[in-house]
Amino acid sequence: MNDGNVAPHLIPWRTGRAGSVRVWDAAVRGFHWLLAGSVLGAAYTGFFMKRLALQTHLLLGIAVALLVLFRLVWGLCGPTYARFASFAHPPRALGAHLRALAAGRGDRHLGHNPLGALMVFALLLVLAALVFTGAGALGGVLKQGPLAAFMSYAAGRGVLLVHGGLTILLLAMIALHLGGVAFESRRSGENLVRAMVTGDKPVLPAAHRAAPARPRPVLAAAALAAGGLLGGAMVAALSALPARGMPPARLDRHYVNNCDSCHMAYPPSLASAATWRGIMTNLTHHFGEDASLGRRATARITAYLTANSTGHWDSLPAHLLRAANPADPLRITATAGWRRMHRHIAVAVFRAKAVRSRAACSACHADAKTGRFAPQNIHIPQTAMP
Amino acid sequence: MTLIRRPHIVLLAMLLPIGAPAFAATAAQYAAARQAILNHYAAEAKKADPNFKGFSAAAGKAFFLAHPATARKATPSCSTCHTTNTHNWGRTRAGKRIAPVAVSVTPSRFTSLSKVRLWFRRNCQTVYRRACTAVEKGNYITFMASQ
Repeated sequence: MNDGNVAPHLIPWRTGRAGSVRVWDAAVRGFHWLLAGSVLGAAYTGFFMKRLALQTHLLLGIAVALLVLFRLVWGLCGPTYARFASFAHPPRALGAHLRALAAGRGDRHLGHNPLGALMVFALLLVLAALVFTGAGALGGVLKQGPLAAFMSYAAGRGVLLVHGGLTILLLAMIALHLGGVAFESRRSGENLVRAMVTGDKPVLPAAHRAAPARPRPVLAAAALAAGGLLGGAMVAALSALPARGMPPARLDRHYVNNCDSCHMAYPPSLASAATWRGIMTNLTHHFGEDASLGRRATARITAYLTANSTGHWDSLPAHLLRAANPADPLRITATAGWRRMHRHIAVAVFRAKAVRSRAACSACHADAKTGRFAPQNIHIPQTAMP
Repeated sequence: MTLIRRPHIVLLAMLLPIGAPAFAATAAQYAAARQAILNHYAAEAKKADPNFKGFSAAAGKAFFLAHPATARKATPSCSTCHTTNTHNWGRTRAGKRIAPVAVSVTPSRFTSLSKVRLWFRRNCQTVYRRACTAVEKGNYITFMASQ
């Protein structure tokens, strides 16, 4: 590790300016700032915009996953200071570094010092965990993505909590990381933030250098392409599996023919069996209108609705709308779950001409007829916005 | 180019000579089916009143536009959902579009007795809060057939 014998000008791929040495290559710098931007964007959309920016959040999460994958490869095939070998300090070195700092005489490291290296590995680990818990929550709660076939709603909810907890941990680590950069910059008298922008650090004596390593960009590109292709194919194949506990998108034809003349045929997975039975036995007084059917049609549709009601499915709407409102048991829009999900929607939106009614799910949910209600499919008509 | 990319357009065009007469045939069938329903209600009307002379489009129009005192608050008239212009698309309270009731715009209107029965039963109860008489139903269909 400590190899002060190789002068910077003897390292053939060194491109640092005069009097300085190139420590962070363009790929590491690009990785660092892209990762910082993606993580901040993902944290912001995740905490503050939630389902309104889910698609952006997912894209940022995919970006984080690809960046971490790249860093793993570059840590094995990159130039000197990009390599894990250059900063995989043994625990002994960490102890020595801390003791030296406490004594007020720390060494200068050209690459990551033992404490910084620990943070780098910890950050990569937490980021990878965030990607996996994110995919788990997406699969369980929304029944989307590669884990939709394996995760139950309840498990997805649990994993989502872990995902949020990990984000708070990550933000704390980022704060520590920034504190560490400020502390080291002050202690060593060099601007570490600028070094991560330009890539160069001044050539100063007594620095820990790593044994020079030649970058292998072709090997890295091949490994990334192979890993990306394999990973992408796996994600695609897993995503194509039928989601666990999702109601079928196609509804019973007889039910649709009879009920969607007046209103959208509400997927049976949106109401409890008790609610459906209540509705079907009161069709002569159906929300202020007579919607009576023949005896046979009534029996057949009742059987279909109750056999496919909330209790039979594991989708997000089926869980949210499970408990009827005792004060208004036949109305899906009266349930606590429905009201919570729509609490930020102004009354004017429901009254607008393009919507007309709380019962017109498909005015804003493009996939309402399938019972899925994916956040990405919410489009409130512009003309309905107050 | 467009036609190459969309062969179904060419296919549909080729079917036109077969399709057009078929369409004319269905229009005639619709008219016959509608007349059968009118005959059904005329027979019912005659049974109730031997002096029954025939249906009136004007009475049907008045019935369609009326705001009966018995109506429910949300549905004071047939025209609440169907609009006062029979050529217009209507809209249900839940926001669903309703095809125009005028036969000239929607030729398949009043051609299935089971459908006609179902909707008169429902909508008479909703607006008039009672079953409609055979005369009222016949007047209504006669008015829409004239539109």
